[in-house]
Amino acid sequence: MSEDFAALTPEQRRTLTAVLDELVPPSADGRLPGAGALGLADAIEEKMREQPDLRPAVLGGLEALDALARRDGGGGFADVAAAERAGLLSRTSAEAPAFLPGLIFHAYVTYYHQAPVLEGLGVPGRPPHPEGYAVAASDDALLDPVRAREPLYRPV
Amino acid sequence: MSEETVDVLIVGAGAAGAAIAWSLADTRMNVLCMEQGDWMDPAQYPSTRLDWDLARFGPFGLSPNGRRRPEDYPVNDSGSPIQISNFNAVGGSTILYAGHFPRFHPSDFRTKSLDGVGCDWPLDYETLAPWYDVNARMMGVAGLAGDPAYPPKDVPLPPVPLGKLGETLAAGFNRLGWHWWPSDSAIATREYEGRAPCINLGPCLTGCAQGAKGSTDVTYWPAATRKGVRIATRCRVREVTLGPDGMADGVVYYDAEGTERRQRAEIVILACNGVGTPRLLLNSANASFPDGLANSSGLVGKNLMFHPYAMITGIFDDPLLGYQGPTGCCIMSQEFYETDPARGFVRGYTFETTRGMGAVSASLLGMTSGRLPWGQGHHEAFAEIFDRTAGMVAICEDLPEEHNRVTLDPELRDGDGIPAPKIDYTLSENSHRMTEHACARGREVLEAAGAKEVLADPILSVAGWHLMGTARMGTDPATSVVNEWGRCHDVRNLFIIDGSVFVTSAAVNPTNTIQAFALHVADRIKSNLENLFD
Repeated sequence: MSEDFAALTPEQRRTLTAVLDELVPPSADGRLPGAGALGLADAIEEKMREQPDLRPAVLGGLEALDALARRDGGGGFADVAAAERAGLLSRTSAEAPAFLPGLIFHAYVTYYHQAPVLEGLGVPGRPPHPEGYAVAASDDALLDPVRAREPLYRPV
Repeated sequence: MSEETVDVLIVGAGAAGAAIAWSLADTRMNVLCMEQGDWMDPAQYPSTRLDWDLARFGPFGLSPNGRRRPEDYPVNDSGSPIQISNFNAVGGSTILYAGHFPRFHPSDFRTKSLDGVGCDWPLDYETLAPWYDVNARMMGVAGLAGDPAYPPKDVPLPPVPLGKLGETLAAGFNRLGWHWWPSDSAIATREYEGRAPCINLGPCLTGCAQGAKGSTDVTYWPAATRKGVRIATRCRVREVTLGPDGMADGVVYYDAEGTERRQRAEIVILACNGVGTPRLLLNSANASFPDGLANSSGLVGKNLMFHPYAMITGIFDDPLLGYQGPTGCCIMSQEFYETDPARGFVRGYTFETTRGMGAVSASLLGMTSGRLPWGQGHHEAFAEIFDRTAGMVAICEDLPEEHNRVTLDPELRDGDGIPAPKIDYTLSENSHRMTEHACARGREVLEAAGAKEVLADPILSVAGWHLMGTARMGTDPATSVVNEWGRCHDVRNLFIIDGSVFVTSAAVNPTNTIQAFALHVADRIKSNLENLFD
């Protein structure tokens, strides 16, 4: 692995985790975890390795975000009060326009195939195969109005 | 292999190649099929993984340009609003198809006589009807007899269950008094000929791990190989060659290592789909056929037809359990199938309902439609769409137009250096009017079914599944490439049996008709062996 594709620093990982929790926070009823707490930073880091274009966008965004947080007198983004994080995140769009669109895409598609998330949504947290799903046969009487029709096909 | 001359060489192991191989095996001829792809391992299909919903962005994508498996060839489809979809493997595109398996209608073979558009086919519904029956048994078709949109037909297996989603949409059609019927589906709804029954996995479009969907690697090919047909995988055919007598004498191909090889044959049959077949013929140009093999008519590659697809999606209040069941096989409607001049277009379309989507796809819908914010309100917004969508596609009949065509790209090549196909295609005014009509009627029926909101996309771009018309059949060599049983007018031991030969496109999925035609051609070959080339 080249130096360019080295792992996130602990500080970058901490910021990324906080960002992920801001993008997809835990649900109010506690059934769905936040994306950061779920550990999605690992998956995002893996995507950064697979897709070289993603890496500068994410790192640039994290850097801009931490800089904004410090400019307001605090530590990094992860140290900012929860109520202020959304505002900071929105403000990064001007300085790092590629940051949020790419990160949101990968955060969503990764978040929504995690077993705890699927279970929180009320669907089985497993692959479709091999168990599948049982679907009952339908009421045949639904077709009665169609059966009563004359043939639709055109004579030739 | 290079020293052997086989009796029959089939190029392509998809829907058509499998059917004709199985039938011709009855003759005890030496039959070999060459396929550029490989056997698939259903245990590796995405539905065995939690991230199955992402597979369409990777090695199970519909477009060969995005998928980029080594066995794929690129297609320059930048000149078309509809992108090419295919798959290269034993089973061909049936590996990824939905298994929606309707027949054509009697009127589909007579569009010129009935509506003054397109051309009449040199055969009719009655000619193919017995082969539809054979194909239904071989592919294992599920459905329900009695559909008033069709002449009487038998269906060997019980229908795919509608589920809550299908029942909801059916009620909408009933409220409007419109036709609907459980879809004919190439899906084993009970154990059938060694295939396990469907267990409603959902993601049929990335391969069926259960083996219930009728892809030809689990239907025709096991039966054909038991009868002695051989399949040579990872063999990419570059050109069909002619002998001094003007008859096809074999092919030049590249093996898996990229080594150029030769295979001789007494009969060559092309089953490479409506893009692959004209590509191969154009790449087989020679001194006798400088514009492409078997192309004295000039029609090889022309009259490309897709099915323009409109997509209409409803968002409902309640969960629909739409992730349970075959995604593309539920119910269909042919209320608007036959021509009604009052609608402002000729011919018509089929509504094919689609089931719901997985959580990943729901999040993508949320992103692209701007209804899934990040942060506060995210989960509430997601709950509004996940498992609450149902919809349909309108499969619209495409009319043949010579300017819609497949040619060879002057620069693009596949991994073996063979020129790639280039697509030039525009939607006709008739198609535009039809898709607009379908969006409006789709909105009505979804609202009648209880949808609180309806999204409509008049042209689905990733929908080039059905590839037809580029080597059309007919009785006149000046206006067609093959005769009514697939034999090239110009080269009498060269046959074409895929969707290339279609004269018109109908408004239903073509695989059943492609295979019925392949069985018809096989029957004609078997019946005329003594004077096959006269």
